[in-house]
Amino acid sequence: MTETPTRMETPYRRALLQRSGVLAIVERRTSAADALDPDALDLHLCLTEEGAVYAFNGHVDLGTGIRTALAQIVAEELDVAIDTVTMALGDTDNTPDQGPTIASETIQISARPLRIAAAQARLHLLGLAADMLDRPTDDLVIRDGILRSREDARIALPFGELLQNRQIHLLLDPETPVKDVADYRIVGRSVGRVDIPDKVTGSFVYVHDVRVPGMLHGRVVRPPYSGIDAGDFVGRSLEEVDKASIAHVPGVVAVVVQGDFIGVVCEREEQAIEAAAALKVTWKPWVAGADLGHVENALRAQPVQSRRLVDEGDVDAALAIAGHRLDRTYVWPYQMHGSIGPSCAVADFQPNGLRVWSGTQNPYPMRTDLALLMGLAEERIEVIRIEAAGCYGRNCADDVTADAALLSRGVGRPVRVQLTREQEHLWEPKGAAQLIDVSGALGPGGSLAAYDFETRYPSNLAPTLALLLTGAVSPRPFIAQMGDRTSRPAYDYENIRVTVHDMAPIVRASWLRGVSAMPNVFAHESFIDELAEEAGADPVAFRLDHLTDPRAAELTRATAERAGWTPRVGPAPQEDGTEIVRGRGFAQARYVHGKWPGTAAAWSAWAAEVAVNRVTGEVNVTRVVVGQDTGMMVNPAGVRHQIHGNVIQSTSRVLKEEVSFSETTAVASREWGAYPILGFPDLPSVDVLMMDRQYEPPLGAGESASVPSAAAIVNAVYDATGVRFRELPLTPERVLAGLGRLPQKTAAPARKRRRFAFFGGLGALAVGLAGFAAMALPIRAAIPPIARPDPTTYSASTIERGRVMASLGACAVCHTAPGGAAYAGGLAIETPFGTVMSTNITPDVSTGIGNWSYPAFERAMREGLHRDGRHLYPAFPYPNFAKADEADLQALYAFLMSQTAVAKANAPTRMTFPFNIRPLVAGWNLLFNRPGTIEADTAQSEAWNRGRYLVDGLGHCSACHSPRNALGAEKTGASYLAGGVAEGWEAPALTNLSHAPIPWTEADIYRYLRTGKSLHHGTAAGPMAPVVAELRALPDEDIRAMSVYLASFSDPMALDEVESRAAHISAATSVSAAPPSSTGARFYDGGCASCHEAGRGAILVNAGPALGFNTNLHAAKPDNVIRAILGGIEGHSGTMPAFGAALDNRQLADLIRYLRQRFAPDRASWQDLEETIARIRKPAT
Amino acid sequence: MRAARPIQLRVNGQAHVVEAEPRTPLLFLLRNDLCLNSPKYGCGLGECGACTVIIDGIAARSCVVSAASAEGREIVTLEGLGTIDHLHPVQAAFIEEQAAQCGYCLNGMIMTAKALLDRDPDPDEASIRNELRFNLCRCGTHIEILRAVMTAARRMREGASAAP
Repeated sequence: MTETPTRMETPYRRALLQRSGVLAIVERRTSAADALDPDALDLHLCLTEEGAVYAFNGHVDLGTGIRTALAQIVAEELDVAIDTVTMALGDTDNTPDQGPTIASETIQISARPLRIAAAQARLHLLGLAADMLDRPTDDLVIRDGILRSREDARIALPFGELLQNRQIHLLLDPETPVKDVADYRIVGRSVGRVDIPDKVTGSFVYVHDVRVPGMLHGRVVRPPYSGIDAGDFVGRSLEEVDKASIAHVPGVVAVVVQGDFIGVVCEREEQAIEAAAALKVTWKPWVAGADLGHVENALRAQPVQSRRLVDEGDVDAALAIAGHRLDRTYVWPYQMHGSIGPSCAVADFQPNGLRVWSGTQNPYPMRTDLALLMGLAEERIEVIRIEAAGCYGRNCADDVTADAALLSRGVGRPVRVQLTREQEHLWEPKGAAQLIDVSGALGPGGSLAAYDFETRYPSNLAPTLALLLTGAVSPRPFIAQMGDRTSRPAYDYENIRVTVHDMAPIVRASWLRGVSAMPNVFAHESFIDELAEEAGADPVAFRLDHLTDPRAAELTRATAERAGWTPRVGPAPQEDGTEIVRGRGFAQARYVHGKWPGTAAAWSAWAAEVAVNRVTGEVNVTRVVVGQDTGMMVNPAGVRHQIHGNVIQSTSRVLKEEVSFSETTAVASREWGAYPILGFPDLPSVDVLMMDRQYEPPLGAGESASVPSAAAIVNAVYDATGVRFRELPLTPERVLAGLGRLPQKTAAPARKRRRFAFFGGLGALAVGLAGFAAMALPIRAAIPPIARPDPTTYSASTIERGRVMASLGACAVCHTAPGGAAYAGGLAIETPFGTVMSTNITPDVSTGIGNWSYPAFERAMREGLHRDGRHLYPAFPYPNFAKADEADLQALYAFLMSQTAVAKANAPTRMTFPFNIRPLVAGWNLLFNRPGTIEADTAQSEAWNRGRYLVDGLGHCSACHSPRNALGAEKTGASYLAGGVAEGWEAPALTNLSHAPIPWTEADIYRYLRTGKSLHHGTAAGPMAPVVAELRALPDEDIRAMSVYLASFSDPMALDEVESRAAHISAATSVSAAPPSSTGARFYDGGCASCHEAGRGAILVNAGPALGFNTNLHAAKPDNVIRAILGGIEGHSGTMPAFGAALDNRQLADLIRYLRQRFAPDRASWQDLEETIARIRKPAT
Repeated sequence: MRAARPIQLRVNGQAHVVEAEPRTPLLFLLRNDLCLNSPKYGCGLGECGACTVIIDGIAARSCVVSAASAEGREIVTLEGLGTIDHLHPVQAAFIEEQAAQCGYCLNGMIMTAKALLDRDPDPDEASIRNELRFNLCRCGTHIEILRAVMTAARRMREGASAAP
């Protein structure tokens, strides 16, 4: 395997500081640092004699393009071409410590030393050239890295030549003059991103792609208190890890356990996935502090630490006398970063220290955490920062790095840890929910008399998870002061009070794009709209009347003009006689980030247009005109792109996004169906207006355009509908409830407890069977053992015929244990009467059937007797096998005897009383086993008769597809093939009793048996999947014969009728007939539709069948649907992923309820779904 | 049935044999055994599209395609589409339109678009939006991606009509 170079092509600080032929701009890491010791110096910029420019910055590129913008800044100040500049970003061994990459401040703040360093290097180069060329400095300039004379055109000296054999280290001089903006030739012009060519060709290295020599693969197993990181139970809930539970998984290297931290390390990634899923872990019960079923109540109930940030005038007095007083509450939900790539890291722990490859946002602070976790000095830890999937704040990047460190220490080798989608969703520090109360009032003449603003914000900045899980830090909640961003409104309120109630986290929360500013501005800008209407003013004009900041006012005017804003007072919906009604809304803000009073960044203004469907409740943002004043733009194309991204992402957050919680308050959103985000079909048209401010300081562009989004959209919905929404997101249910169309929450279905009637009848059965015991026949005689037959005595054609018969009988399906050798037995088969263990049928003499003569084998096949005379249980379908021809049985015997002998003792079968009395089976046989071959039915075709022989004989279809009586025997007559059970799956009826919406035709059966798929029925799943796989060995004419025979049990339907019925079903079950306005619908849309809805979305090679035709969705019981979704489908006919780990029982019930309603609309809804799911899933242990 | 066995894969025109359990998702074999990093793990459930490859000319979500079912089929990854020196028109268009922020979803966008354009050289914007409906992007690069696919379609049509 090719490996990622340890340091890839990144320039290396230490090497550059030690070599000659360089000009380096350095800074002492501490004031006492030795300027000769490379480890004591930060390197900002290094030029080499080869003409290379290396620039170092402590921030990282989160996908926003700062690598390119920083290179532009360096190229500009140095007067070199941008492509000669290589950036090194955020790496503890390499770059200066400039803190975490947050608040869009890379360009605004942390680019400064780089700009100065580049200016300093330029001046020094000019000085060197002046000496060398003996010309005055002001005669010289640098153009594209070449020193030229203003006077003498012959002079052209590449800067590298000035550095030959020199080692120049200059201390960064903050007083160095930088270029005048008027002279800029690179900064302020759009340039292509340096990373995109590698990204479009797959050669870019993300942290997910790092491979180092000897690397193993790890997965973690997280505690059940998903997403909660405060409380006594955190780090103290693990009871037991049963390492033996993964003994069957190949490639396991170690299981690492420390406190509540658990990880598995394997040779291969898929092994680690399997081991993590199979590892049996027992957790203690735990109790969460708050109920997040109702976010407003939860936030109001939480203890607070309050800060009064602004208190000007007398708010209470002004509110008391005001005529138009409004009291409003705004609720912001918990939201996710939702990085498309779950976090990943590689760690290499060696005796001399730890090296990690990480997608962290904050290399230095994370190193401090790692030092604490591992008990290592910081200097012994190296953090190499590699780009990851975009994050918009603190996701799990640091967590997974710490996980990898622990696992690497556990095995002494490098370990790569990839979090699963579910783990990233559950555990990423969420964007905090927020609750905002505002009271305000108008004064005389539309003045703003009073504003009383209180905001509640629960966060602890999310300590690195492994520190909490291992107990290295206390899980006592720390209270972060982060709710204050942009908490002061932009308007001239005469009396104003701003209070922030900081509080401990309820679930893990930290910063997410527009941290606390987005919710705060949602309140400010919704409220000012209401005041405008109270004042009888147009919302834009009213804002302009009260804005004190001229740049805000200018942006507001420009944006409104660009949008073609039509002044209005109150709602002025545009209607066209349909269910769609349209409106427009405005909002603006200047994002203030950092600790109060904070740093003001870019201004943003939105004019949003929405279309609201009054019938379905769907809100579409159709157009956004977004204005931004971001000061100087380094890369205007990059700024525009960031604005697009902010508009789309924040629209998604406002319309769709809300973390859901289980009844225990643990996070419940594990995949994209539970947390939908905006996609291509719902994309608004975005018109960006960028103010020309190239002579003003740059203010960053990473977040500001998100900030006015919520209020602009909500104000537009108000314009369209006259209904004001103060809680997000604007899901169809919430909008319909607001419009008075529907209750917001449909009552949960009443819960009934139900016992399994199934077991009720067994007592009576036992009594009946006891009667048999009295007349039980004696054990039959043994047939003497023989020496193992020599397989070479069988002809190749006989063995081949036997192979086909073994496939028809699907012998290997039951006689092979998971992960075991073929035919060596050991599969546990659950029956209502106990667990039957399949036996070893390889030709091993002591443990298999190697010493069975053909007569012994034939007797077993026809009469269900072991060679030694014991009765075999009829889970072994000898009543069917009895019907096989002698020639086929002999061929089967020859085939089995020619297989590899495997020594594997049979596990005991565990039957319940009285079924554990084997001789009883003799009585059963008297009643139900009628050995004898099948008589041909001359009225039927040859194919029909052949099909019947295959189906009823070795094919033993009826063993599963016919119902069984109370004693476990197949029912016959009208019940033949009328539907049975197999391994807990329903084996559907193959006759007119089928629930399939379209009857089985011969062609459909043929296609299904041959490929495992039928357009009009579905995909072979559960125990049928391996049967279809086995049937591949059968010749086509046999499959056709089986199809002819099986089709004879269903009334034929003409092809055109099949087609018209199919078309009818497709139309009746289409998405337009069931708009996605429920939780279940969203699960379907996010989790199922991508594969199951041809035509909506990409055409996929591995698409699933259309669900309107699915037999299981039309069945009387939901069991097969539940099993397919929980466990997925594996087989050559197709793969469906298992959703058992991605959806909890309540979510699955929501989904299945929706599936039944949508795809089998004429069937009664299934009852007690949650209970059935719980039974099938079995208690998670 | 769960034991590892040699899996024969044909990827980007080259034959490979990988020893693995047949039910292993193709994604992991491409990434870990063949070191083809372009298909990305995003969800493992076929929901997001980051792992998209092209199998027998049609887009496939390699996280839900088992190794066994990919055997004997023609698999193309982003690496097989083109290189920096010889870009496929779809790749060139994505550079031209600067259609990436973090770029993690980009593999799926390009591969899905490529499969679409092979099937329908002249899709309208609504068809492109529909085709990419279940390819998730979190950075909000949708506008640039749409433009890139339109540009690619135009260039490929021009290229086809210019060809002798």
